[in-house]
Amino acid sequence: MGWVQKVFYFHVGAGWLGMLAFAVAMVVSIIYLRKGDLKMDAIAASAAEIGFLFSIITTLSGMIWARPSWNTWWTWDPRLTTMVIMAFTYLAYFLLRNGMDNPIKRARFGSIYLIVGFITVPITFFSARLLRSIHPTVFSSNSGEKMAMTAPMYQTMGFSIFAFTILFVFLLILRSQLRMEEQKIKDAEALENEIEFGEVNNG
Amino acid sequence: MKKWFATLKTLIWKDLLQEWRSKDMLTAMLAFAILTIFIFNYAMELDPRTRASLAPGILWVVITFSGTLGLNRSFVAEQEQGSFDALVLAVPGLGSIWLAKQITNFLIMLLLILIILPIYSLLYNQNLFNPALIATFVLGAWAFSAAGTLLASMSSQSRMRDLLLPVMLFPILMPVNMAVVKAGEGIMNGLAFASYQNWLLILLVYGIIMTTISLMVFDYVILE
Repeated sequence: MGWVQKVFYFHVGAGWLGMLAFAVAMVVSIIYLRKGDLKMDAIAASAAEIGFLFSIITTLSGMIWARPSWNTWWTWDPRLTTMVIMAFTYLAYFLLRNGMDNPIKRARFGSIYLIVGFITVPITFFSARLLRSIHPTVFSSNSGEKMAMTAPMYQTMGFSIFAFTILFVFLLILRSQLRMEEQKIKDAEALENEIEFGEVNNG
Repeated sequence: MKKWFATLKTLIWKDLLQEWRSKDMLTAMLAFAILTIFIFNYAMELDPRTRASLAPGILWVVITFSGTLGLNRSFVAEQEQGSFDALVLAVPGLGSIWLAKQITNFLIMLLLILIILPIYSLLYNQNLFNPALIATFVLGAWAFSAAGTLLASMSSQSRMRDLLLPVMLFPILMPVNMAVVKAGEGIMNGLAFASYQNWLLILLVYGIIMTTISLMVFDYVILE
C-alpha cells in the first residue's frame, strides 16, 4: 500500500470521532428534553457541529485513499453512502435551528431531530449492509473479511483513536463555552434594548 | 382507553372531512404525481426490458415526492385558523393529535397509491397489481407518514417551512427508500420471498420505531 496507507490512521480516527460526536449529541439531547437546561442544548449543537466537520473529513480522506486503492474517487458502498447521509442529516439539523426564532423551541426541535437522526443512521447502515460492501472492516467477527494488520498498525490506530477522542473532548468544551458566551451577549443586548425602548413599546 | 380511541376516531374524521371538502391536497398531489411520471418517461426513455424492474423505484420516487407535498399542508389549516391551542385543550392525551394526523396522512398516501398504480400500469402496459408489491408500498407509506408527520409538525413552525421539510425528511427516510426499491425490484424480477423478506422487515421495524418515538416526543413539539 505504501504511503497511501498513512491516510488510514487519520481516516479511522476522524470516522470514529464523527460517530462519537453524534452519539454524544443524541444522549445530551435526551437529557435536554428531560431537564430543559439550555446548557445541554449548547453542548448538543456543538457536538453536532464537530461531528459534521469530522464526517466531511472522513469522507474526503477516504476519497484520497480510494483513488489509488480502488481506482475511483467514489463508489456506492454502504459505508460511504451512510457517512454522507449522516453528514446531510446534521446539515438539516443546522437549517432547522437557523429557522427557529424562539430559543426554547429551537432547542427542543433540534433535540428531537438529533434523536430521530441518530436512530435512523444505524438502520441505514444495516440496510446498506444487505447490499455488498467492499470497504475494509477493521472490527469484524468474521476473520475472512478482516483487514490484514500487523501489531504496530493496531498500536498506531489505537493511539490515533485515543488522540482523536481527546481532541473531541477539547473541542467540545471550547465550542460549548463559546456558544454559552455568545448567548450571554445576546441576552444582555436584548435586555439593553428592553431598557432603552421598553417604555416606547409599552406605549 | 376507550375514550382515547373515540377521540382518535373523531380527530381522523375531522381531518378527512376537511380534506374531502376542499380536496386541495389530494388534487395537487395527484397532478404532481402524474406530471412526474411523464417527466420520468422523457428523462429515461424507459427501455422495455429494464423497465419492469425499475418500475417500483420510479413509482416510489413519485409517491414520496408528492407525499412530501401533502405533508407540508398537513399542519397548515390549524396554524392559519389558530385552532391548534383549542385542539390541545380539547383532547385528552396529546399523542392522539399526532396519531390522528399520521393516520390521515397514511390514508391519503394509500389513496394516492391506489390511483397512481393503475395509471402507471396503463401508461406502460405493465401489470403492477402484485399483492407483494402493494404490501411493500403500504408498509413504505406507513413508514413514510410516520417520519414525515413528526418532521412536518416541526418544519411548519420554522421560518423556512416548506423549504425545510424535504431537506430534513430525505436523509431520515433513506432506509425506507432503499428497502422499498430493493424489495420492489426483487418482486418484479420474480424472486423468492426469502430473498427480499429482510427489506420488508426493515420497513416494518422502521415504522414501529418512528411511531413510538413520535408518540414519545410529540408533547415537546406542540407545548409552549
